[in-house]
Amino acid sequence: MDQSGAEEAAMHRHPPQHSSIPSGENSVWSDVSHRLEAACRELRDGELIHGDNFNLFAAMSALEIMDPKMDSGIVCKYYSIDEAVENGVAPVPISSDKTIDVQCTIDIMDHLLACEATWHNGHSLAQTVFSCIYLLRPDRTSSHAILHSYCRVKRATCKAVVSVVSDARTHEEEDLFTMAYGLPLHGDGDEKCLSMLNAVEETIYRQLRACNATSSKKRVSEDIEPLQHNLDLEEDFCKALLCRIRFRKHFFHVLTCMRRPQGRGLELARKHIASCMSELECILNSAEFLRLGAYGTCEDGVEDRTTASGRAAIGFDASLNSRSSAPTPPRAIKILSWEKAVQYFLKLLHDLDIVCSYSLDPSLEGVLRFVVQFQKSKPDLIARAHLQLLLIQDGKLYGRDPIFAVITKAAALPEVTKNHDIQKNEYIVQLGQLVINLLKILCTNAAWQRRKLGKILQDWRVIYVQLEIAFRNEVGSVSSISDDENICVRIFKHILNWVEEQTYWIASRYLMLGFELDLYSPSEYCMVYWYMYVVLIKLAEKTHLRIAVSSGTVKKKGKKKKDSSKEVAKESRIPLPVLFLQCHLCLAQGLSMMLAALRNELMVLQSPSPFNTEHERFIQHFELLQKACVPDNISYLSFKESTTYTRFSTLVMYNYFKNAQRIAKEIKSSFSDDPDRLAEVRRLEQVAEHNGVALNVICRVGALDPSLKVSFEFTHHPYFATAVVKRS
Amino acid sequence: MEPNKEEEQQQQEAAQKAEFDPSEIEYVIYGGEHHLPLIMNLVDQELSEPYSIFTYRYFVYLWPNLSFLAFHRGKCVGTVVCKMGEHRTTYRGYIAMLVVINSYRGRGIATELVTRSIKVMMESGCEEVTLEAEVTNKGALALYGRLGFIRAKRLFRYYLNGVDAFRLKLLFPIPEIHPALSMIAESDEIQRHDQISQQEC
Repeated sequence: MDQSGAEEAAMHRHPPQHSSIPSGENSVWSDVSHRLEAACRELRDGELIHGDNFNLFAAMSALEIMDPKMDSGIVCKYYSIDEAVENGVAPVPISSDKTIDVQCTIDIMDHLLACEATWHNGHSLAQTVFSCIYLLRPDRTSSHAILHSYCRVKRATCKAVVSVVSDARTHEEEDLFTMAYGLPLHGDGDEKCLSMLNAVEETIYRQLRACNATSSKKRVSEDIEPLQHNLDLEEDFCKALLCRIRFRKHFFHVLTCMRRPQGRGLELARKHIASCMSELECILNSAEFLRLGAYGTCEDGVEDRTTASGRAAIGFDASLNSRSSAPTPPRAIKILSWEKAVQYFLKLLHDLDIVCSYSLDPSLEGVLRFVVQFQKSKPDLIARAHLQLLLIQDGKLYGRDPIFAVITKAAALPEVTKNHDIQKNEYIVQLGQLVINLLKILCTNAAWQRRKLGKILQDWRVIYVQLEIAFRNEVGSVSSISDDENICVRIFKHILNWVEEQTYWIASRYLMLGFELDLYSPSEYCMVYWYMYVVLIKLAEKTHLRIAVSSGTVKKKGKKKKDSSKEVAKESRIPLPVLFLQCHLCLAQGLSMMLAALRNELMVLQSPSPFNTEHERFIQHFELLQKACVPDNISYLSFKESTTYTRFSTLVMYNYFKNAQRIAKEIKSSFSDDPDRLAEVRRLEQVAEHNGVALNVICRVGALDPSLKVSFEFTHHPYFATAVVKRS
Repeated sequence: MEPNKEEEQQQQEAAQKAEFDPSEIEYVIYGGEHHLPLIMNLVDQELSEPYSIFTYRYFVYLWPNLSFLAFHRGKCVGTVVCKMGEHRTTYRGYIAMLVVINSYRGRGIATELVTRSIKVMMESGCEEVTLEAEVTNKGALALYGRLGFIRAKRLFRYYLNGVDAFRLKLLFPIPEIHPALSMIAESDEIQRHDQISQQEC
């Protein structure tokens, strides 16, 4: 800003008397106070001095004090937790009337559940679970056994969840999740939370039994003090509390069992998951009773209620933490409703159950398939973190199988490889790391996953090139090939083929995720399906080679041609995994050709733009694939060459959709014991059938009828579109 | 950087569409301090993210030539705020804020505003233009799609309101080279791919 008025002041020089840093040859101490004061006077509200290092981030981080949208330090109600407590915001006991006290305790539990679900869904701990003053002051609740034990298990659960997510480090974009600065995530004695909770559960269970006994046999167990004074409500209150407490207990067990090494706790975890789910059902059922007792002020609509009763819970203030702990953006957040929270937990438990029921398949192919299938239900961060920690422990698959052994199996390497020195080769070691990284990436959310997959394509390509060079050196350096080297050559050949296969698999997943994330617009479908097709061809080729080679190895080891005609027949048959890929491949090719014909003949789905052309959009969409040469020699030019002259007449001749349909029919029976893949084949079959029909309709009337409208929908499959033909 | 406010509110306002002829809209390049409050009011009113005055100043002081305002009979009804600069190995433009008040939407004002900025970026040597838009902001996505932007990536829960964003990108073509030099152009292009992929963000 304008600094001319400050020039004179700058001329004064006052070497400081006691400075610890002496003036040097080119520097001298001077007092800039005057200059600074003068400069300050020049500045008006909202002006700033722009230094080179004042970038967008700095500008965005700047706050305007006392602006309620930005200033976290602004006092909303209370300066501190203590002040809130002194003002009676979180009384202990909550009420001197025991019935009301129990009601309020249940409300607190319900609201905390809603807070927890809101936290899991992307908000900070400080603004959600730890908006509860009872949780923030662990000692205050000690006289209230139910509340105290509940708060303890809640803190311990949060701690366990933060730990699983930070250990998995799958949360790059979800880093808000684990931030807990300044929050008492661990209260003294929280580690004993389960024994306390069990004691409380036991007491309430006795109270429940006592009240049942009272109604039938009249006052048998007088030594047991009831939960509260209204005996008509005793049973329902006991039940409402019990299911809430038991849910917490089992949920905590689920989290700890799932962390046991090598998946040893999975079976037990499943039992606790089942218990959690049935307790959640009871919690849902208790709502009817709790709403009856809800006299007084109700919160807004049913959809917004954060408690079963509909009352606002006592002892919460989300604004308190904004002054004491980060990160709490000053804006108020919306806590999920209680019903949505219960639904959320049911979904989470369902996802965790899928992880726990996993068979720890030792084949990498099986692992990849499982993870991809698991991701289809869009599991949240916690479920994904658990899966990742299960898959990779101590650098081994399930903490059990060394990665090299996994690769040996996956790449169908000869048995001797397991103990071969080749595993010490630095590139083979690196390859192992790439496999681990791949598995971890596949456990991240779809958006992050796609970006990372795009980036690691390069790594896989580089390792391929390095292995190839190592392989050539190996072959070149030996003039007389001994048996051992022969093995080496074979191993390298298999590994190279397998690395390529994996690279194409990653590329195809990268392209498919683009549909899931809605990154492609209809005018780009043609090039996307075309690219998918060229990648799938390569993938099918490499897969076929691997299977052929591995079955060849088996044959060599076995007895000499016993039944040669049968063998030949078997060999000539295309293996199932390859047929499965071919079915995808035909669809991708069919779709890209159909889209090309639509553009060429009906002049639709073209998108001229003022600033660039389709060529630039092609470069942008596939830059990571192109950079990694996946596949080799593929460019915009090759795309144009294969699509520019596509006509409906040629399309009908090739019949891609019929082929896809035929393959689907053929392989369906082979997947009868694999429901996931059977469902996938059925979906492919439907897409093929519908598109085949659509194509026929367009061919018959398309060119003659300008009112024909063709659109694409993902009704049958998440990334293979179905053409919908309508007359407008 | 441009999440919209509640749809509900939008619908209410949409009911009262302003009547005007497109030729009545006057487009003006950022002309100094007197325009700043107009921009700030518009953005505060229509977008959900809060920006400090420093953010506005950062943009309009450094790149006044990339900011435009649209006026209808003296009333400011729309604005676009942008920047450009080195990003890793490329020189790229960035559209920070684009706002048209609800009753004036759907008449091409936003397209005109943003087109003006993009033209200046292209003339200034930018290789590409980027921005973020909420995945739910169908209007903005369609607008940028028509201008040639692709959805390069999805940013998970990008905004404080928990909604995902798309990073949109527009790549400018490399300048035409004489046909005789097409061989060289081909090899240039390969190099350029490398550059682009390295500036991933």
